[in-house]
Amino acid sequence: MILNYREYKSWREGLTVRDVIEENTFTWPKLVVKRNGTVIWPEEYGSTVLDETDDLEVIHLLGGG
Amino acid sequence: MIHICDVPRYHAISEDELKQMREKHVLLRSFSYEKTPLERGYTDKILTVDLGAKEAVVSDIPAEVKEKFIGGKGYCLRYLWDAVNPSTRWDSPENEIVMSAGPIAGITQYGGTGKTLICTISPLTDIPVDSNVGGFFGPYLKFAGFDALELKGKSETDVIVVIDATTGTITFEEAPLEHFDAHVLCEELTSLYAKDEKDKMNVAVVAAGSAADYCNMGMLNFSFYDPRRGVTRLKQAGRGGIGRVFRDKRIKALVCRIDGVKANLNHVADIGLINKTGVKFHREIANNDIHQNDMRGVGTAYSLRTLADYDIVPTNNFKFGDAPGIDEMTAAVFKKDWLTQGAADGCWYGCSMACAKASDHFLLKTGPYKGQRVCVDGPEYESAAGLGPACGIYNPQEVLEINFYCDTYGLDTISYGTMTAFLMECYERGILNRERTGGLDLSWGNAADDLELMHRMARNEGFGKIAALGIHKQKAYFAEMGWGDLAEMNDFGMEQKGLEYSEYSAKESLAQQGGYGLTNKGPQHDEAWLIFMDQVNNQIPTFEDKAEALYFYPMFRTWFGLMGLCKLPWNDIVPADNALTDDPKMVPEHVENYLNLYYGVTGKRIDTKEMIRQSERVYNFQRIFNIRMGKGLRADDAIPYRSAGPVFEDEYLWREERYDTQLVELAGYTPEQVKSMSLQERMAATRKFREARYQTLIDAVYPKRGWTLNGVPTVEHLRELGMDLPELLEVIEPLLAKEGV
Amino acid sequence: MKRLIKDESLCIGCHQCEAACAEAYYKTSDPAFACIRIEDREIDGKNRPIIHVCDQCGKCAEVCNSCVIQANPGGVYMIRKKDCVGCLMCVGFCPEQVMVQSDERLEPSKCTACGICAKVCPTGAIRIAED
Repeated sequence: MILNYREYKSWREGLTVRDVIEENTFTWPKLVVKRNGTVIWPEEYGSTVLDETDDLEVIHLLGGG
Repeated sequence: MIHICDVPRYHAISEDELKQMREKHVLLRSFSYEKTPLERGYTDKILTVDLGAKEAVVSDIPAEVKEKFIGGKGYCLRYLWDAVNPSTRWDSPENEIVMSAGPIAGITQYGGTGKTLICTISPLTDIPVDSNVGGFFGPYLKFAGFDALELKGKSETDVIVVIDATTGTITFEEAPLEHFDAHVLCEELTSLYAKDEKDKMNVAVVAAGSAADYCNMGMLNFSFYDPRRGVTRLKQAGRGGIGRVFRDKRIKALVCRIDGVKANLNHVADIGLINKTGVKFHREIANNDIHQNDMRGVGTAYSLRTLADYDIVPTNNFKFGDAPGIDEMTAAVFKKDWLTQGAADGCWYGCSMACAKASDHFLLKTGPYKGQRVCVDGPEYESAAGLGPACGIYNPQEVLEINFYCDTYGLDTISYGTMTAFLMECYERGILNRERTGGLDLSWGNAADDLELMHRMARNEGFGKIAALGIHKQKAYFAEMGWGDLAEMNDFGMEQKGLEYSEYSAKESLAQQGGYGLTNKGPQHDEAWLIFMDQVNNQIPTFEDKAEALYFYPMFRTWFGLMGLCKLPWNDIVPADNALTDDPKMVPEHVENYLNLYYGVTGKRIDTKEMIRQSERVYNFQRIFNIRMGKGLRADDAIPYRSAGPVFEDEYLWREERYDTQLVELAGYTPEQVKSMSLQERMAATRKFREARYQTLIDAVYPKRGWTLNGVPTVEHLRELGMDLPELLEVIEPLLAKEGV
Repeated sequence: MKRLIKDESLCIGCHQCEAACAEAYYKTSDPAFACIRIEDREIDGKNRPIIHVCDQCGKCAEVCNSCVIQANPGGVYMIRKKDCVGCLMCVGFCPEQVMVQSDERLEPSKCTACGICAKVCPTGAIRIAED
């Protein structure tokens, strides 16, 4: 699996988007999550199971103007 | 939680006191002027105030200046250039403070539209500094008939300058009884110049504070009256020591008084478009803010806790990034115990983002106002991080008290925080000790002695005089006294070009190292904040990508400074469907909003390309201005190693695994080699790699910006921009010839 | 406290209330200029409109940073137009979206519970309540 254009080494069966966000302590309030280019909304994080071949982007939007 | 409806109003100053102050005022000189109404965001007039001659002159702003410099920071730099010469220093009489609010400033329908830009030759850097600030003064200056204000010369005695648009007069007055500290002075002058309680909304005050008389990091406070609390509140033009220049000119305060604010004082080209864009923005904030950053609840300090998760909070003088005590000062703590909720906290009309939070009736425990209850500006991220974790302090009460005194004394919270963090590290390393500090124990986290240090700065006493210098001059002084090694202090003293760093640790983002190092005024994040794009999102992996970002963002963000706009409403809130756009991080709908506001005000249609061009003209002008003042070349863009990598052993060991892995993955060592290297060898290899990478970055960025490898804008580039002005060519041509370009 | 109250079950979606309000204050029948909003909604082939009225919740007053919206003794929030800077935050934050903004005027306007809309309502779906 790819996370933000890098190989994600801790992929495992049943890994969800929420798991990735928690494992990486992505606590920033404004995230844009895309799986294979499709937007995943926050309410879908827990139910979106990731495949070994998935390309996941967790884009942190800028802050501070 | 404290709600605004439970907050008692602040006491007004008694009529007796005001009467005494008024009676002691001495009118030194008075001028009448014809007020020029605004047309499409401009008056095309500049007011020049000469403090030495006590003269006020109104002149036209030429069409070609308007065309090339647009307004705001562009005007400030243009007029400052004309006033000074290469040997001008901050305290030369010809040095000016120039202020301008920009064409969009003063509309009331959209968030963040009341910014004033200010430039001067800085006592910290000896080059132009630009700073932006909210509050009433800049827009009121426009309503009073002026797109810009120049302050030049020096007065022999303390004076206030009053621009009274209600009568069309400009006066120089002595006001001896008023205090010098900003929270009192601004309240006093607001009360003195308002006809009644309601009229306080129509008075704007600019003042420094008692420490600005002595400290190179002196700043300017801009007032805005809060009718709900019944108190005059302050926003700060913090960076670069403008307050010190202000006080050196013996200006006690500026006052601008108008008849009142209405929705179309800018006399805009298309009010309908502005109304529509504004309502859309307010609705977006109403629906989304609470689910995004909660700017209305806590302001920019929302990010303290979360940035620690990314190793970005400048813990113990930027040594670490995870701020171990941060749970004591999270947004939730500030919201629950300290910041008043539910108030309309915009620092200009129409700012529904309302991030100017306040802690009400805050009880002071130290200093000249000990025992009093005051309204404290809720710490912004920069203030909270710099005054807090950078100095090892995690107690919200202490951070608020330090923040309050910085503001009222007229000290920049960012420079003060970063400077104190430096002194604390010097103390830890034995460069300073109790004897050298005059008894102050500057151990990490000692807020009591931190405050005592500041009170001494305000009294110009003992070690306070050393603190007043700022890091750049402190390093030289400590080395000269034989207390510390200059090279070592250069590594961990977080300043560049003489300006203290703002509060983000950039070690894991090369692009942000450039975002700090390759700036015009010095290391402030307002040109480019690329940490997430680079370190976390990995969206700009190559040098080429990073260089493109370090070309585009500084230009894009400069545009806000030309217009009189705040950058926060651009990306501290996003539309609900922003994730579906082509480029979510740019918030395309908001960029469209800004182009609409520009059209709505000026009647001129521009696209993003022209937006960047407008900025690029001014940006290159500022770069050449730096060169002209002797500090604008490649050598001046070098950064302290602390901002790029671990200086000391404990710093390396803190993230040993990360640094070791990078030696393999990025620097080309084999795992076996790394395993066999001593800690010192690994540190040296890391440093060599990181320092080389910064140079490679510069090699990529300068050509993108149209500069030579020595950092000089080329003639072709200036010609392309329509900026091949003779005075600019005169500065760069000898340098270009030397480089053989 | 005086305010406009509604009984959606009685609304037939004739929109006369909107027209009356817009006519009275903006001399137009355009519902965009009414401080009441009838949102048509079809359920089982029938129009079951939603009525959006100002219930004098005071959100507009809370967000105003010039404090020009205040409740009168009857609990009705009024805009002091003379001192209003026209920032339109109240318009954007109104939970029912029933404040009116017109490009012809510098200030927005809101429901004053005048009852003009209630008077023209043929079914009593809206009325002025005083308690």
